[in-house]
Amino acid sequence: MRMDYDVPKPEIKVVHSKQANCPNVINQVLHGIEEEGLPYSVEESDENNPVELAFRGAELSHLGVGIGISNETVVLHFIKLKEDQPLFIIPTYSNEATLRAIGSNAARLVKRMPFKNLDNTELS
Amino acid sequence: MIIAGIDIGNATTETAVARFNNQEKPEFLSSGIYDTSGMKGTRQNIHGIFASLKIALDKAHLTVDDIDLIRINEAAPVIGDVAMETITETIITESTMIGHNPSTPGGLGIGVGVTVEIRDVHNVEKGSSIIVIIPREVDFEDSSRIINNTVKNGIFVNGAIVQRDDGVLINNRLDKKIPIVDEVSLIEKVPLNMRAAIEVAAPGSVVEQLSNPYGIATVFDLTSDETKLVVPVSRALIGNRSAVIIKTPAGDVKERKIPAGKIIIQGATKKAEINVDDGAERIMEAIRSVAPVEDIKGEPGTNAGGMLEKVRQVMSNLTEQLPATIKIQDLLAVDTFVPQVVKGGMAEEFSMENAVGIAAMVKADKLQMNMIAEELEKELGIKVEVGGVEANMAVRGALTTPGSNKPLAIIDMGAGSTDAAIINRAGEIKSIHLAGAGNMVTMLIGSELGFEDMGISEDIKKYPLAKVESLFHIRHEDGTVQFFDKPLDPQTFARVVILTPNRMVPIPGNYSLDRIRTVRREAKTKVFVVNAIRSLERVSPTGNVRDIEFVTLVGGSALDFEIPQLVTDALSKYSIVAGRANIRAIEGPRNAVATGLVLAYGVGD
Repeated sequence: MRMDYDVPKPEIKVVHSKQANCPNVINQVLHGIEEEGLPYSVEESDENNPVELAFRGAELSHLGVGIGISNETVVLHFIKLKEDQPLFIIPTYSNEATLRAIGSNAARLVKRMPFKNLDNTELS
Repeated sequence: MIIAGIDIGNATTETAVARFNNQEKPEFLSSGIYDTSGMKGTRQNIHGIFASLKIALDKAHLTVDDIDLIRINEAAPVIGDVAMETITETIITESTMIGHNPSTPGGLGIGVGVTVEIRDVHNVEKGSSIIVIIPREVDFEDSSRIINNTVKNGIFVNGAIVQRDDGVLINNRLDKKIPIVDEVSLIEKVPLNMRAAIEVAAPGSVVEQLSNPYGIATVFDLTSDETKLVVPVSRALIGNRSAVIIKTPAGDVKERKIPAGKIIIQGATKKAEINVDDGAERIMEAIRSVAPVEDIKGEPGTNAGGMLEKVRQVMSNLTEQLPATIKIQDLLAVDTFVPQVVKGGMAEEFSMENAVGIAAMVKADKLQMNMIAEELEKELGIKVEVGGVEANMAVRGALTTPGSNKPLAIIDMGAGSTDAAIINRAGEIKSIHLAGAGNMVTMLIGSELGFEDMGISEDIKKYPLAKVESLFHIRHEDGTVQFFDKPLDPQTFARVVILTPNRMVPIPGNYSLDRIRTVRREAKTKVFVVNAIRSLERVSPTGNVRDIEFVTLVGGSALDFEIPQLVTDALSKYSIVAGRANIRAIEGPRNAVATGLVLAYGVGD
């Protein structure tokens, strides 16, 4: 008999700092994931460093994909990368399309599809 | 005494340095290779000659002063060029269709209705069937709310066409699921108040109803005459995951044949005229039937005429001769497909149109090799002489390949032309030059995959492919997996890449690895295998390919990672031993002519 009631759901973890006050940014990122058809869950953390938030997300995610959101920055991280070398970093003031694209890219990392272009934003 | 043989080719200048110790057989000391500077046979070559010679001398720890004699080749005055002409075209007039593959369309199934802008749905009568059009300005939350309300008001919303990448988001918020096609870039071109059908297939499937002419006829109640007109539409939609067809009263879609015109082949005794529309096979048949060819012309005022005149013009510029005196002496025609934007489409749809690719070969006046020799002699203070005919030198060089013997044929596969020569037991040599080589392969790859950038086509031709499967590993063409310590460039993630020596180059577009590989191998087969057989037919003493026993492949394209195998495989069917040459057992297919120039000196040729 399969004992699957304890198995965590395969989902992308979005972790934002408690201080982050940017619900629209979080929503756009989530829409990006949703459009690609992947499940996700959102968590709050006391941490403020977006890279660490993202890596924490990747550690929690059963898929190994995490997104960290601070007041200034959105970071996409993957569990197999070095902690200080995340995949993508964009500022929270990026336009809607770019914020959604980073969400889509989190999903595409799982789906193994080519990434959307984030180039039309000023990368830090 | 020490002798240097130098071969100036279209792409590279190669050197062989050897010492003669009073006997016929020289002792080879070293070799050098450098890019040819300038157009072959012109003064600019001197720079490349110096560089190539210097590389060889450095390797042998010699200086220019140690050399007693330099021999350069009497280059075959052959130049090739390529052109491409589309012979069909799909144009949409007034009626419209959308057939594309957004990565994430929404919903599922087929829906039929009248097109209405989403902000105007309150004007629609109760009970009618509609398809809503959602432009960029309306976001997915608003549009899904409007659709839900409209359905509650008793209007049947049967589908949606969306400009943004919102299909799934809208679908997830609907009470009643409908097919949604998103990422339609030119949505303002979608006509309103027209009957439309929309189909979205399940993941992994393709549209079935709208890619079938009778399916379209069923949806729009078409007569048999009207059904004939929609065939090109259904054809253009085959293989898509989502599709829209909008019927406008006066509309139809036409597949039109562009009058491609005739090619006139003038032989020594015969003359043939052939329509380009008839395709490559018939053109090649005609050329074979009138051989030897003296000149090839296109019918003035047609595409064929334009194409061949363009080739003639390029040649005349290169050789500084009048266009009228340029004679096209061979032509290789190849059937191919070219993706062309459908005129009148709304999401930049492509339709694969038939095309004919043509490579032409022109024999110019004797190139200015004597002039180069004089110049070289002046600058170096060493005696420089022009050696024998290029093909003869190549054969001599090729015979240094272990395991080869007379009678031997060589096929020199370069960039601009394919040259062949045969030496019989008595040592007599016969040679010919044919149109079509590496450059034509590049053109075919580029046109079939729709790349404007010739650089990427050239890379596809030269290097193997791989698929990036994760941030840390790739899968090669043959299925083997390779891992990396450091993460790969995100730009290459999940893409097909070209493994150039320096880096992985991601290939734009959605082509699968297999598709690109097939295009590449077919292009090589269409040019090199066809030309190998064509050239052997011409040099064979009996005109029969089977009467040749040994064939060695030389020249730059013989270095390719798969062309020699393709040719070896094809020729083995004629029980010919064919393979890549290995000059002096160390040089591979390179340095044949340079080696031949040195050897020929030994026997006083």
